Amino acid sequence: MTPTAQELHPAPVLEPGRTILELRGLEKRYPGTHALKPVNLAFRSGEIHAIVGENGAGKSTLIKLLTGVMPRTSGEVFWEGQPAALATPHEAMALGINAVHQEVVLCRHLTVAANMFLGEENSRFGILQQRAMVREAQKIIDDLGFDLPAHVVLGDLTIGQQQLIAAARATVRGTKFLIFDEPTAYLTRKEADQLFTLIRRLKGEGVTIIYISHRMEEVFELADRVSVLRDGTLVGTRNIAETNDAELVKMMINRSIEQVYHKEHFTPGAPIVETRNLSGKGFENISMTVRAGEIVGLYGLIGAGRSEFVTSLYGRHKKSAGQILWEGKQVQINSEHDAIKLGMALAPESRRDQGLCLNLPVGLNLNLPIYKRISSNLLISNAKEKAEADRQIAGLRIKTPTRGALASSLSGGNQQKIVIGKWLAHGAKLFIFDEPTVGVDVGTKAEIYRLFGELLSKGAGIILISSYLPEVYELADTLHVFRRGKLVATHGFNTASHEDILTQALAEKQEKLGGQT
Amino acid sequence: MSIEAIPAEKPKRNYNVLFGLTLLALLVLLWIVLSLATPSFASGNNIANLLRQGSMIAIMAVGQTFVIITGGIDLSVGAVVGFATVVVALLINAGVPIALAILITLLVGVAIGLFHGFGIVKMGLPPFIITLATLTSLRGIGLLMTNGNSININSDSFTAFSRNSFIGIPNLFWMVILVGVPAYVFLHHSRWGRYLFSVGSNAEASRLSGVNVQRTIYMAYTLSGLCAAFVGVLLAARIGIGNPTQAEGWELQAIASSVIGGTSLFGAVGSVHGPLLGAFILATINNGANLLNVNSFWQRIITGALIIIIVYFDGLRRRGK
Repeated sequence: MTPTAQELHPAPVLEPGRTILELRGLEKRYPGTHALKPVNLAFRSGEIHAIVGENGAGKSTLIKLLTGVMPRTSGEVFWEGQPAALATPHEAMALGINAVHQEVVLCRHLTVAANMFLGEENSRFGILQQRAMVREAQKIIDDLGFDLPAHVVLGDLTIGQQQLIAAARATVRGTKFLIFDEPTAYLTRKEADQLFTLIRRLKGEGVTIIYISHRMEEVFELADRVSVLRDGTLVGTRNIAETNDAELVKMMINRSIEQVYHKEHFTPGAPIVETRNLSGKGFENISMTVRAGEIVGLYGLIGAGRSEFVTSLYGRHKKSAGQILWEGKQVQINSEHDAIKLGMALAPESRRDQGLCLNLPVGLNLNLPIYKRISSNLLISNAKEKAEADRQIAGLRIKTPTRGALASSLSGGNQQKIVIGKWLAHGAKLFIFDEPTVGVDVGTKAEIYRLFGELLSKGAGIILISSYLPEVYELADTLHVFRRGKLVATHGFNTASHEDILTQALAEKQEKLGGQT
Repeated sequence: MSIEAIPAEKPKRNYNVLFGLTLLALLVLLWIVLSLATPSFASGNNIANLLRQGSMIAIMAVGQTFVIITGGIDLSVGAVVGFATVVVALLINAGVPIALAILITLLVGVAIGLFHGFGIVKMGLPPFIITLATLTSLRGIGLLMTNGNSININSDSFTAFSRNSFIGIPNLFWMVILVGVPAYVFLHHSRWGRYLFSVGSNAEASRLSGVNVQRTIYMAYTLSGLCAAFVGVLLAARIGIGNPTQAEGWELQAIASSVIGGTSLFGAVGSVHGPLLGAFILATINNGANLLNVNSFWQRIITGALIIIIVYFDGLRRRGK
């Protein structure tokens, strides 16, 4: 559907542009960790420079240093040849350094226009020129080719659309150096394409783009150069034309790419759960079966009804019609409690909003579903509480100083391990994983996939939701494609091509896209 | 870094203990300074009086802390205390046996707490609003029931309780221990305590993990109502009357004690010993200021300043950690 990277970028332009930002021995130490070992790197104006690496490799630290959120421990930074302190976010912004974060950091309750001009409102004699701002914002948005209204409240847009607004906002502020931190994590393909168009256009205007992503195909589609971080060390920088997937992955994790999608096949056993014509808000007439020892993948765009379907199955939301059979018997699931009692476990889509109690200890998060079991009568057994938490921490190799450390202090991948780990001790039969690897590095991904194999070998069934096709494609024994709340196609393991599945998931949208070009 | 070498849960507990010790040190320091500054402070009479003053706020603060840990607030507790004095006074004067009168009064507190839970869980009202509404209405209901008069309690054995001591310690202070010990076990060693924290931290995540969020919220407000009604009984015994306008502003003292004791108004952070110490620090400051003849207006200012200072330093240390 989209032209390949080579077609769009015939041999990346590599006559060195002017160096805009140079790092010399940039270094960051926290008490106990050496987060970033001395980095020497020069960014050129008008280049798209991808930075890849596992969670905890030092990417976030690097961004925080560049945007002035944290002071560096040592080293020098030169902005257009002049030494820069980058001690405050304000200083970074004044130079023209901006960042678009993975999680949208804007005011959800204000309008799109108000957010675009937040901090730089257009006012006359202290009175806000609201209509003028909406007009101006709309012009910028239209200009960028985003099909979005400027007068609506930001919170009414999807997360992906909010992300586009955040990007648009960053472009109107005299930005010369723009950092994207995993911008496509929550975007649909169409939104991602719009974002890429924006990024290429900024590049054309001479803006330096730092692009951080776990998605290799995006790096190859967009970037001119790529730098790899591992354990706080800059392993190397490559011109994109002179490298490939395999080399980058190897640099990142010292492991080959085949080992990432680790798939074990089991002979499926008896059905664990079966839905018959299940309908509810956002999905209708969904019939599917999950058997012991199999992974059922649900693929589709964000908003296709996959999450709504599983949360309803899990009792979080109401069902309007249909039946659920659990191990062959018809059951009523009216609450999460009912679902958990039957033996379901849900690792929800958003770690931050649904998965974790961030300001509580790792141990408490891990034990939350099983406190009843580790209590004798009224009191919690301290020994069991410790043992259970430590067992999961060790088994999943969760990197945390102690089980008493707050969940918020862990990296994204380790947080995701907690979201999954809390259900392992509970002894569920059906595991529902909703986007389990969003914002998670390759190494942790591989660990999570290996865990799937373990669960299956114990006779569990898995529902795997992902917007990342290779993931469901390589892992699911049965792959259901969702579009607009309906189950539109079903495939076996590796039986359909990527293109067919994409077409089925996109269908109408693609026609629309085709009409525009 | 090997995982086996990880020390057990020490940091968090150490921090809690450390903060508790700092508060305790502050309390002791206040006592030493006041003993040196005024001869009457260290007298047995005054200490007993101080313990009585602090006890009631301390018990309210414990209930309040449960609510604040869930991320809520209970503004009604002062009004519940006043209302409970009326209920227990009317019951005793009507000839109901004392034990039964107390039990019924406590159940009234439970009912008020359940109502708060209902308002928050079923009607979707913010805790601030529903408890603010109860605050004003309960005072009104109490005034209607008493026609605005105080009711003298005609039972000496009831009122004697609050004046008496057991092995040299005022009975009222024993009540703090009676409430504090089970409260400590409940909050820190039972799963319901863990649920209070988890709901305060992230209600949706708790719900998806199988925690009954609604029941947890009901529980927090019910315990707060129960503690407040119990304080109402103690207050009625101490002053010998039932009067709905009693305990005006005590909700703020209870909240202040809780916050001084390290409870976060954002939820998910708090303990039982913290608010207890907080309550006695406040009581000591008021008592000491009286003895030193400090203008009572100043006492309020000092209390306010103290809240800012303690919470500021607590926040600094948490962030520094």
